[in-house]
Amino acid sequence: MAGKSEAVLVIGGGIAGIQAALDLGDMGIKVHLVEKKPAIGGRMAQLDKTFPTNDCSICILAPKLADCFRHPNIALHTLSEVKEVTGQIGDFLVRLRRNARFVDEEKCVNCGDCAAKCPVKVPDEFDMGLRRREAIYPYYLQGVPSVMAIDREHCLYLTRDVCRICERFCTREAIDFEQKDTDVMVNVGAIIIATGFDLYDPSGILQYGYKRYRNVITSLEYERLICASGPTGGHLVRPSDNKPAEKIAFVQCVGSRDFKNNRYCSSVCCMHATKEAMLAYEHDPRVKSYIFYMDLRAAGKGFQEYIARGERDYNISYIRGRAAKITEDHDENPIVWYEEAESSKTNKIAVELAVLATSLMPRSDAVDLSEILGVELDEYNFFKTDPLSPLDTTRPGIFACGCCREPTDIPESVAQASGAAARAAEAVSR
Amino acid sequence: MEEETKTFKDLEREVVKRGICGKCGGCVCFCSAGELNALEMGENDIPRYINEDSCQKCGICYLICPQTDALDVELQKKLGWGPPIGYYQRITSAQTTDDKIREICTDGGVVTSLLLYLLERNLINGAIVSKKTERFARRATVARTRQELIEAAGSMFSGSLHLEELGGRYTTYTPILSTIKSLEERYLHDIAVVGTPCQINAIRKMQCLGIIPAHLVKYTIGLFCIENFSFDDVAREMLEKKLDINLDEIVKLNIKDDFIITLTKDVTIHVPLEEVHEVARPACLTCRDFSNEYADISVGGLGSPDGHTTVLIRTNVGTSVYDGALRKGYIRERIFEDAEERRVEKTKILAKIVSFARRKKRRSEERLSALARGEGFGRKV
Repeated sequence: MAGKSEAVLVIGGGIAGIQAALDLGDMGIKVHLVEKKPAIGGRMAQLDKTFPTNDCSICILAPKLADCFRHPNIALHTLSEVKEVTGQIGDFLVRLRRNARFVDEEKCVNCGDCAAKCPVKVPDEFDMGLRRREAIYPYYLQGVPSVMAIDREHCLYLTRDVCRICERFCTREAIDFEQKDTDVMVNVGAIIIATGFDLYDPSGILQYGYKRYRNVITSLEYERLICASGPTGGHLVRPSDNKPAEKIAFVQCVGSRDFKNNRYCSSVCCMHATKEAMLAYEHDPRVKSYIFYMDLRAAGKGFQEYIARGERDYNISYIRGRAAKITEDHDENPIVWYEEAESSKTNKIAVELAVLATSLMPRSDAVDLSEILGVELDEYNFFKTDPLSPLDTTRPGIFACGCCREPTDIPESVAQASGAAARAAEAVSR
Repeated sequence: MEEETKTFKDLEREVVKRGICGKCGGCVCFCSAGELNALEMGENDIPRYINEDSCQKCGICYLICPQTDALDVELQKKLGWGPPIGYYQRITSAQTTDDKIREICTDGGVVTSLLLYLLERNLINGAIVSKKTERFARRATVARTRQELIEAAGSMFSGSLHLEELGGRYTTYTPILSTIKSLEERYLHDIAVVGTPCQINAIRKMQCLGIIPAHLVKYTIGLFCIENFSFDDVAREMLEKKLDINLDEIVKLNIKDDFIITLTKDVTIHVPLEEVHEVARPACLTCRDFSNEYADISVGGLGSPDGHTTVLIRTNVGTSVYDGALRKGYIRERIFEDAEERRVEKTKILAKIVSFARRKKRRSEERLSALARGEGFGRKV
């Protein structure tokens, strides 16, 4: 062992990991912040606005990204993964795999000349496949570090030994195909897991027609569509014909509170559906929204008032009843079939766009990470925590915050991150 | 020292100078779409350097050329290809339900109807088709409306549909750091292409690499193709002498079992295909693909009665288009007396396609071995 360490490893560069890293850094504790993607920001960077204030998501996140990047106590490891952990609280030895970016972070100025010439086009993950990007690309516009990365799966030089066009057009000579994946050992006293969530793929619920009907989309796809930096420049147009959607249905609990899928409540969807309906109305006051819900769960500070405001000021109808199925008419308008719980009557309504509130899921690699870290998962594969020490995992010195422990909204994730940072600080100062 | 990447220089030596360039325009299409602008379609539609210095030596044009084979195995695997006519799910005979289209089409008007279906259902924003500019000349064009599609109806036999058009049209490239990823980036990228086997092959190779501008192509409709003709002055003279006709009198050309020339005076001449080989483009004589083996849907007159189109539905994409058009009433299937007749007729159609495919492959082998022996072609085009 390398001996007692006062540094902390934070796994995951979303809002929870960022907040934990900043808190620790400000306490004078060295932090290694590890992010698998080419840039930090996580899911929050994909959102257009945040509830319950309707603040622009990236506007409140970007300063934190920059703080993280510049912080003297934070070492940022992007495109990196945790491969091995040995030791115990106060003295963990961690092997990080730093995957090659093939772009020199010191030289790249993110001018985009390379991407403008890259001939490859692949679906953009950040924009939920609603746009295509090149094989050399910025993970997203405001991503930090603000440099390009090369996608090794699709780069024609790395896969087929041709092209190298980006290299020839880069005036900074920042393209570096010689870069190799490297392993880095770091010694830390505590570890915070903040790996976030995956989204449920609703194409398995056949009766909703996702992927079959073009105007049935998921909430996160909707966030990208309505976002000014998204694939349509913020115009809320439906995929089939590029026309504005004036009647929108929000279908709740898609994959959540469902015995065939996830039995738990995803906790954020009642709120984000309300927010998304509000945003549509703000874009165009002709918009009428219908939210099909089982229970409205608005248990957070200012949340119930937010729902009331939606109903009063934003032309939103809340309809209690689970959508049974979605069909389509001749103009590709989704038709939502539902049972109105109040009257027990079945009914249907044609809308122009249907948005599925898909369940928040544990990361698909949560099992791998739990084995590497030697911590337990709960029955759903979220990281297991105890009600009276909700940020402690089953192994001393390893903490969890945000959606990796259960579906959690942004304010709560930030609070948990600060809590986890405090727990970690306590662990390393012992 | 690693092996040098093959570039357009190698393409010139191995394909163009050997006279086997099919003029599909794939190389120029890619080069101009990427705004590399090193290549252009030169004299007689042969690709050439505009400026050799601007060539980035990326080697992509070499890979996507239908006459090179670096991507063949991968492409065949991806599409489940097998001899003799490639993978297909179904074979049918169909016709358009639109009287206007039936009047002007070559066979059953299926291509125009499928495109119309795609366009009117908002599944594409445009289709690359060829449009008649003069009697035997055609030019590639993007059809975005019903009217434009109908204007382009009727098959082409002078191989002047270039993929180049796709490159030139693809100008929506947005610099990555501009904050507006315009609507066009997202919504203009669905098009259908109708093409000969070499053109579809080049598009498929580009799609294999995942490169522009083929990422715009959602649907490929392939034409059966024995050969294309270039009706330049020499060829015209040769043909007119041989057949003792005036080419200006021709109203329609078609290839089924033989070369069918319909003249103004309601006269139809059938010419054995061997006799018109002389006006075929030399590259066509080395091509191995009759039934357009890599398309989503392959179509042609062969095997179907007049007024019908033979349709080979190959991919899942092809099936969805065909079934969609059928369901929405854009096309109808040929009616058979009973199941037995259907079975017999379909077997007959298939047999014809296979026989033509074999014939074309054999011809290609003969030509290529003649070429290897150093015997040139009769006529330089």
